[in-house]
Amino acid sequence: MLPHRLKIIPILVAGLSLSLISCFKDVDFGQAKDIELTPDLDVDLLFYQLNENDFLDSETNAYSPVIRDTVRLEFLDDDYIQDGLMYAEFHFRHENSFPNEIKSKIRFLNNNGREQFSVNYTIPAGATDSIAVMDTIHVMEGSNIVKVRRSIQMLVELEMIDGGKDIEGKLDFSSKGLFKFEF
Amino acid sequence: MRNKILILFLFTSVLCFGQNRPLLYNVDDLPQALLQNPGTRIDFTRHIGVPFFSQIHIFAGSTGVTAHDIFSDENPNVNQRVQNVMQRITAGDYFSVNEQWEILSFGWKVGERGYVSAGLYQELDVFAYFPKDPAVLAFEGNADYIGQDFNFSDANFTGEVLTTYHLGYNYKVDPKLSVGARAKLYSGIFNVESTKNDGAFRTIETPNGPNFYRHELDGLDVLVNTSGYASLKERDSMTVDQAVAELLSRSFFGQNVGVGIDLGFNYRVTEQFAINASIQDLGLMFHQKDVENYHYFGSYGTNGLEPLFPELDSNQATIPYWEVFEEQLDANLKDETTYTEYNTWRPLKFNASFEFGTGKSILPCDYLISKKPRYMNLFGMLISGVNRSKGPTYGVTAYWDRKVNDNLRFRLAYGVDDYSLTKLGLMVSSRFKNFNIYLSANDIIGYTNLAKANSASLQLGMQFIFKDL
Repeated sequence: MLPHRLKIIPILVAGLSLSLISCFKDVDFGQAKDIELTPDLDVDLLFYQLNENDFLDSETNAYSPVIRDTVRLEFLDDDYIQDGLMYAEFHFRHENSFPNEIKSKIRFLNNNGREQFSVNYTIPAGATDSIAVMDTIHVMEGSNIVKVRRSIQMLVELEMIDGGKDIEGKLDFSSKGLFKFEF
Repeated sequence: MRNKILILFLFTSVLCFGQNRPLLYNVDDLPQALLQNPGTRIDFTRHIGVPFFSQIHIFAGSTGVTAHDIFSDENPNVNQRVQNVMQRITAGDYFSVNEQWEILSFGWKVGERGYVSAGLYQELDVFAYFPKDPAVLAFEGNADYIGQDFNFSDANFTGEVLTTYHLGYNYKVDPKLSVGARAKLYSGIFNVESTKNDGAFRTIETPNGPNFYRHELDGLDVLVNTSGYASLKERDSMTVDQAVAELLSRSFFGQNVGVGIDLGFNYRVTEQFAINASIQDLGLMFHQKDVENYHYFGSYGTNGLEPLFPELDSNQATIPYWEVFEEQLDANLKDETTYTEYNTWRPLKFNASFEFGTGKSILPCDYLISKKPRYMNLFGMLISGVNRSKGPTYGVTAYWDRKVNDNLRFRLAYGVDDYSLTKLGLMVSSRFKNFNIYLSANDIIGYTNLAKANSASLQLGMQFIFKDL
């Protein structure tokens, strides 16, 4: 039997062994600062579905070849956009059954109405049984991304070419944005 | 705010960290065995713990990930490893931290068959399932998950800090059967609970719809209950020292109370073979003071914003589409803060084991078992678990318990649980006259490199144990 003073030895040995063998190895916790959140968010933006009546004055029934509207996209001013947006890919789609070409201007404006960037193209003429589809993808990255960060309004403008009071057809618009972030 | 949460976490973590302690279960010469099973066999007649040092129990574990999985120094691409872990880990994986710090512990034999034990301990228990879907949404976004649900039910966690006052009675019915019960009064220091969340966010393609996608937040119902938190949050000017002092002041006189009970038995089927089982913390906490609850609920879907091309004069402002959108959001997705009392179940622990003895010996100190022969080698198998919000967690431990002599005992154990399939444990208990000191560590292989360990636990303590009157 062990003398009293030596009876603590097993505990000491166990405790000492435990403290000696316990360690963190093969890790570098300094990498914690390099951990990034890199979400890719795919979100709808604007949509509309127009017909001939949208190109006629509601009171006089006069033909209005140019129509426009502006939508504020307040989320573009949020901190996560300002701090972390690295890449934006806009996808615009027009489906046209008017027998006329239509010029589309999509302008992104800052809070003062100054244009930051725009995407302009002509939508080909279509027909009721043959809808013209126009897909446009516009990428903003690198030094251009700051233009997206500065934008807060999206102005959409349409100009019917060679149209008249008796036009008939439909124009559908879909849009989405793929926003890539690094936090 | 963040600082206060950090302070709270550090405070509770530093004090000390499973819940089940297989290395101390059925150790008949340690009073801590009575905390595991109030009906266990014991072979002492009095005990008093060294205040604050009779048991320090620390446990931390993670079922799906180790520190090495993330911070390996083999290559610098930490973000790729985070992504790999995110893909591998599931909403059923969990993180758990538990500590128990015994402040007072004492007990004595009553009559020929009874033993009363009492004391108090402070406990921290944090248990969080991996919030897979919200985490994937935050880390990766929705772009690669079109058509898939991000479920908010994945957010499921509990955390509590409390002090427990307890009084137990162990009774030897006959030479074969002993039973016991322990009444507990809980004094809550802090509680947070969010376990019944629901709802999903999804982005679905809508080829026949007005836009490319439809974004839906469907049936959102997220509730976070807290007690002991609001008063800390409101004191913006509180320093670290003040916050720690505030929490310490609640250690003994917490604001919320609860009651619970432990039950257990041990039955000697034959002289060599025994079975036993126990439940611990069958109890409720009543959160009535310093309560603040956060509720987020509602449903909403959108295809984006639709410009209406109004006929406007040059000086007319356009339609405030965004404001209208925000109003619709506010009307459909709501958040409210309530101060409603709530109750929480304590995490119920259960143990069941059988034990077989060899190496017969008659020791002179076995008063409570009427000097019946005992066995120097005990081989046992224990099933233990804790009830959690998504169901119980289990572990199985096989052990060899060796009593070298009346003053030195050790236990070697091998366990399997959600954390590890190779859990080796060691317990050593030694006596010098009436002074006892013990140390136990589970998952010893993990200690060789804690970075690669899924869990680690440690118990140590010292006390005076008397085997005669």
